[in-house]
Amino acid sequence: MADVEMETQMGLDSEEDYGELSDAELQEAFSKGLLKPGLNVPLEEPKKAVNNIEGLKMCLAEFKKNLPWVERLDLTNHPAVDVLAKIEGTLNKKQSSGEIDAEDDFQREMYFYRQAQATVLEALPKLKKLQIPTKRPDDYFAEMAKTDQHMQKVRKKLMQKQMAIEKSEKAKKLREQRKFGKKVQVEVLQKRQKAKKAMMTAVKKYQKGMTDKLDFLEGDQEGKKGSTASKSQMSKKGPNAKRKYKDQKFGFGGKKKGSKWNTKESFNDVSGFRAKTAHGKGGKKFNKGGKKNKRPGKETRRKMKARK
Amino acid sequence: NRDSTKCRAAVTRVEIDVFFNFHVLFVFQGKWKNKERVLVFSSRGINFRTRHLMQDLKTMMPHSKADTKMDRKDKLFVVNEVCEIKNCNKCIFFEAKKNMDLYMWVSNVPHGPSAKFLVQNVHTLAELKMTGNCLKGSRPLLSFDPKFDKEPHYALLKELFTQTFSTPQYHPKSQPFVDHVLTFTIADKRIWFRNYQIIEEDASLVEIGPRFVLNLIKIFQGSFGGPTLYENPHFQSPNMCRRLMRMEKAARQKERQMVKEIRLEKRKEVKEVLTEDVTDDVFVTPAEEKPKEVEHEAPRPSKSKKKKKLKLTELKKRTLLKRKGLR
Repeated sequence: MADVEMETQMGLDSEEDYGELSDAELQEAFSKGLLKPGLNVPLEEPKKAVNNIEGLKMCLAEFKKNLPWVERLDLTNHPAVDVLAKIEGTLNKKQSSGEIDAEDDFQREMYFYRQAQATVLEALPKLKKLQIPTKRPDDYFAEMAKTDQHMQKVRKKLMQKQMAIEKSEKAKKLREQRKFGKKVQVEVLQKRQKAKKAMMTAVKKYQKGMTDKLDFLEGDQEGKKGSTASKSQMSKKGPNAKRKYKDQKFGFGGKKKGSKWNTKESFNDVSGFRAKTAHGKGGKKFNKGGKKNKRPGKETRRKMKARK
Repeated sequence: NRDSTKCRAAVTRVEIDVFFNFHVLFVFQGKWKNKERVLVFSSRGINFRTRHLMQDLKTMMPHSKADTKMDRKDKLFVVNEVCEIKNCNKCIFFEAKKNMDLYMWVSNVPHGPSAKFLVQNVHTLAELKMTGNCLKGSRPLLSFDPKFDKEPHYALLKELFTQTFSTPQYHPKSQPFVDHVLTFTIADKRIWFRNYQIIEEDASLVEIGPRFVLNLIKIFQGSFGGPTLYENPHFQSPNMCRRLMRMEKAARQKERQMVKEIRLEKRKEVKEVLTEDVTDDVFVTPAEEKPKEVEHEAPRPSKSKKKKKLKLTELKKRTLLKRKGLR
């Protein structure tokens, strides 16, 4: 019974392709076990590519011309060892096994280059033995594959490229410099502002009476001395005597109202008295160093003019 | 200075170079025995790049001859006859189809094997990135990948290339120096061709060009016909490639369309009314009932607002008067 059901099922499901095979044949095949229950679809055999190895070998044997190496100049070799990659340690496993990644342009071209290099290295000694020259003597002029004009174009292009690179590098450097200069400027300004702020806060504190010490004054000077270590020779004597006097008189708060008035001490202090200056006889120093293009007077000038 | 009129006993040919107006005496001390001649020509419908490539090959191979374009109407075995007329025993034939695809036939003409390739990535001599240069007609070194020895079809191709591309020794148009090397490498199941100039003895090279990639299609036993010896299973015709790309695009578009349609349908669908949730009423608390107050009197106006208003207006007045100078 089951068999009959299966057959009917197959009969219903079968497509036009099965027209070739009659039902009886199908039944036979099923009973033999060649066909399994269910929908059977005829599979197409995948197209096999022709690879007539024997034919190829025969053809090669017939075709081959046993010429001496001189005529052919052909070599089969692996590419030369990539010295740079070895040093850098970037040798891929693939490379060492001989597989080239065709997508990686640089690697691929380097592979071809190294293959050519290996050939050249092997072939040159052979050629030398056979006395075939490889170097063209300087006075041997002959037509080249590319015309001189073309080579000039090539050279021009290379020069242009180089110049472009140089220009871009210069521009980069300039930009960097400018940025750096700007940075430095900003830093210096910030530093100044900070110092000013610190000084102001310290002064305010002192004014308000929060701190007794006047340390912040010295601190500032110290800071200045520290930064201008190279200028220590110049500022060894510290601020000018004039500066000192003025600071004393005008700087850093304190009473200012009576600063221009004489006190007993300042009145009795005769150290600044110079007799010659007082009597107006310190002549040499105060002259302009003699007559320097002293202009003659009006009358003299008129007379000179008249004389002319 | 070389005396151009001197000649030696063993001279067979003297080469004079007109281009530079220098007379060069060249002595051939050998006889040209390896009579190899290659016919390089094409069918109609090639573009400028192919034409330049052909020209470059002719420059590279002094043992080559040129011929006029062949009409596509003629069958391929006509090529054999053309070669016979020109007395050539090798042939490189370029076939261009659809203005896009370039096929190259390399064949040993009377009986020998022939191979058909699809040519891709063509770069000619004239490209400015190829900075090398070599003597016109100098003999090349040929460099092959070791993979060529591993399989029989590659071995056959190697022999074919060797015989076609190597310049015979003592060929009258050849230069005696060996200053460039042609490389054939197998990568990505294709054959890559490069041409390098040898600058120094330490094997520093510069590329001259041309360069191209050959994708093997079939190898035939005869010249431009005959039984197929080898068919490349990895080869996909350019038409197929383009077709697949177009189908891919179409499939993507179809998918997008389908997704759009599904979305629209979903929106149009009658939406189910969800049944009422029993727990909705849990947090509903009715507000407390306040006694209704009936107001009999009008509410007192709030003084503060008026005061403020008054104050404001007073201020305004005062300012106005001040401005006017009356206060």
